[in-house]
Amino acid sequence: MDLIISDLSHHIRLNKGFFLWMGFLVLAFLACLFAYTRQLKYGLGVAGIRDYISWGLYISNFVFFVASSLIGMLISAVLGLIGMKWVQPITRIAETIAVAFAAVAGLVIVMDMGRPERLAYVFLYARFQSPILWDVTVITTYFVISLMLLMLPMIPDMAVLYKRYGSLPSWLKPVYKVLSLNWTDHPEQNRIIHRSIYILLILIIPAALSIHTVTSWLFALTVRPGWDSTIFGPYFVSGAFVAGSAAVIIAMFFFRKNYRLKDYLTDLHFNNMGKVLVLVAFVYLYFNINEYLVPGYKLKRADAIHLRELMSGHFAVMFWLVQVGGLLIPIVLMLFRKMRKPLPLTLISVVVLIAAWFKRYLIVVPTMAHPFLPIQHVPDNFKIYTPTLTEIAITLLSFILVLIIITLISKFFPVIPVVETAKEKGLDPLKSNES
Amino acid sequence: MKKLFYILLPVIITTLRVEAQNPSWVVPDDQKGKICLVRFTSDMAKQGEVIYLKNCQSCHGLPTKKNFASIQPSPGDLSENKVGTQKDGELFYRITTGKAPMPEFRNILTEDERWSVISFLRSFHKGYVQPDPEKMAASIGKRIKLSMTYDTVKRRILVKAVELTSDGPVPAKGAEIVVFVKRYFGNMQLTDPKPTSENGYAGFEWPQDLPGDKSGNVIVGARVNDPTGNMQEAIVSDTLAIGVPTNKPALTDTRAMWSTRDKAPVWMILIYTLAVIVVWYFIIYILLSVVDMRKIKQV
Ligand code: HEC
Repeated sequence: MDLIISDLSHHIRLNKGFFLWMGFLVLAFLACLFAYTRQLKYGLGVAGIRDYISWGLYISNFVFFVASSLIGMLISAVLGLIGMKWVQPITRIAETIAVAFAAVAGLVIVMDMGRPERLAYVFLYARFQSPILWDVTVITTYFVISLMLLMLPMIPDMAVLYKRYGSLPSWLKPVYKVLSLNWTDHPEQNRIIHRSIYILLILIIPAALSIHTVTSWLFALTVRPGWDSTIFGPYFVSGAFVAGSAAVIIAMFFFRKNYRLKDYLTDLHFNNMGKVLVLVAFVYLYFNINEYLVPGYKLKRADAIHLRELMSGHFAVMFWLVQVGGLLIPIVLMLFRKMRKPLPLTLISVVVLIAAWFKRYLIVVPTMAHPFLPIQHVPDNFKIYTPTLTEIAITLLSFILVLIIITLISKFFPVIPVVETAKEKGLDPLKSNES
Repeated sequence: MKKLFYILLPVIITTLRVEAQNPSWVVPDDQKGKICLVRFTSDMAKQGEVIYLKNCQSCHGLPTKKNFASIQPSPGDLSENKVGTQKDGELFYRITTGKAPMPEFRNILTEDERWSVISFLRSFHKGYVQPDPEKMAASIGKRIKLSMTYDTVKRRILVKAVELTSDGPVPAKGAEIVVFVKRYFGNMQLTDPKPTSENGYAGFEWPQDLPGDKSGNVIVGARVNDPTGNMQEAIVSDTLAIGVPTNKPALTDTRAMWSTRDKAPVWMILIYTLAVIVVWYFIIYILLSVVDMRKIKQV
């Protein structure tokens, strides 16, 4: 038992590597924060978005963040509830990613606001008819449920570590003590925790489905070419699982290496996650074919312009790189068992994740560039969207924030559930000392 | 690097593309000589300023401040010399006809209003001397004055046109009159134009089903249709009770998807509130029960 505890917890300390990494993140954060202060001072004009293409990097990024956060629900709830035992060590990683991305997704929206100090107006003057209100509501809800799904299973862990892990940094002890809520492994406590988690796991499924469906409706409830689609909800959800699975695989790889968790995050887990990724990528591919073939067959005038721009116009290079390089080739590669080993799978996931980001860009920007009424009598930078450096820095800011959150959570709490792992092996974590 | 390249690609392509040249904006010769028939006064310029701030500032900025909008083609600052050296008639023509993206103000501002904007602009043009209205008046054509009466039995609007000559008013014969009705967006012409008779009258019948406001009132206007610009503009307008009382609720009067929050469809408010309450009920319930857990001690 002690072995499990120290294996899974030895990374919880302040070491040089942590300070270096956090120092780097904080510096980068400050640099990008400077870009944001410029935007606060001079307004959204410092970004490349203009009257016609008013959704650029920020909104693409927002969609990507919401997408990535969905994975918490797939791993913990869907796979967990249908009894896949192997996901158990990955659940916390997935929830951490979900919490980090969901939390920052809200901030990304604020970054896209010209007058963020008027944020309260979104609620004060909210209209029930507006998908924006639904989006704000479901994202908040999803964030809270994800946070609870991260923290509740951690309660027994913190109690055990507090009582039995001698090397727990002393400054973390009070935090653990408070958060472990007097956990004594009492049957009644176990009953409450299990019931709560169970309810949450069920709640999070509709919550997660709605956050990304509603996000897709922000687009699909318009009549614009490329967005005016009835399958946008499932299209976004399946795409979200692709991005999220890739993110989880990358995170697994880093934790396994840096926190020396080889015995807990085994090849089996990578192999299985690889299969999950192939599956969701296939579903996504299916929706992609629908999404482009159906309008492409009918070629309504506005759709035709849109599709031509994507497939052979301005956006063609990016489009084909994303579709072939970021979806088709990874699918084919991952069909082979060898490619689902940790290192190759992680590399593939990196490509998939980057492609997933650009895919959001391809969903948001080209449609904005082709309104129904012609764009005329405006300067050139109104017609073609070019992200500015400031805008790119502010977008990076959100990524850095996600990394900071993930780092902090994973550094100060066990990445892999301790008590569950012990119980799996038939050990009683709180009492006995056999191991 | 690659990423940056693809982001930059579209820009490179457009910078290489040559902008189409802006076609020129020619004022016909017979319009250049048009002048204002009253003397510009500071009062008039003040009225012009108000009109300018409302209709022109959004594109042209404030005169002399060079803060015009950055659109293509550039509107420019109207206090500049290249505007100041143009004749009154040229400015008048440009404001009247517009040229995309500048709107035509023919039906937005009356002639008097257009002239007062010009008098406002002239106050920035150094060295400008207004052509003498009295001297020019003779050569400028007729000044017409319109008046309007109506007859509900015959359903006829009678427009009377008189010409103001130096010997006093005389009936204007053969002036082409257009009658229009004010609608939500702009004016709707009621019938074909008609010339005035020997004694200066033109009669127009209105359709039986002309929609009016709640009490059947319609704003009717008449003007002289004068494409050659030989007659000074004349407009009358009046509220006449000749329409069918119509009481259409405004689009935002009923509950609808596009309406304000207070007029959201009931089912939408219900579903939204219900969903929020149910989910948050569970969340709060779980939070409370977990916090309660602290009280349970090991036996
Ligand atoms: C929608 C924007 C817009 C508005 C509103 C607008 N203008 Fe313009 N205006 C322009 C543009 C653009 C040009 C230049 C057109 C060109 O050169 O092809 C222009 C040109 C002019 C010119 C000719 C300038 C020259 O260099 O010869 C005059 C005079 C003028 N505007 C007066 C007015 C007045 C008076 C108003 C208000 C009653 C007004 N404009 C409202 C956009 C606007």
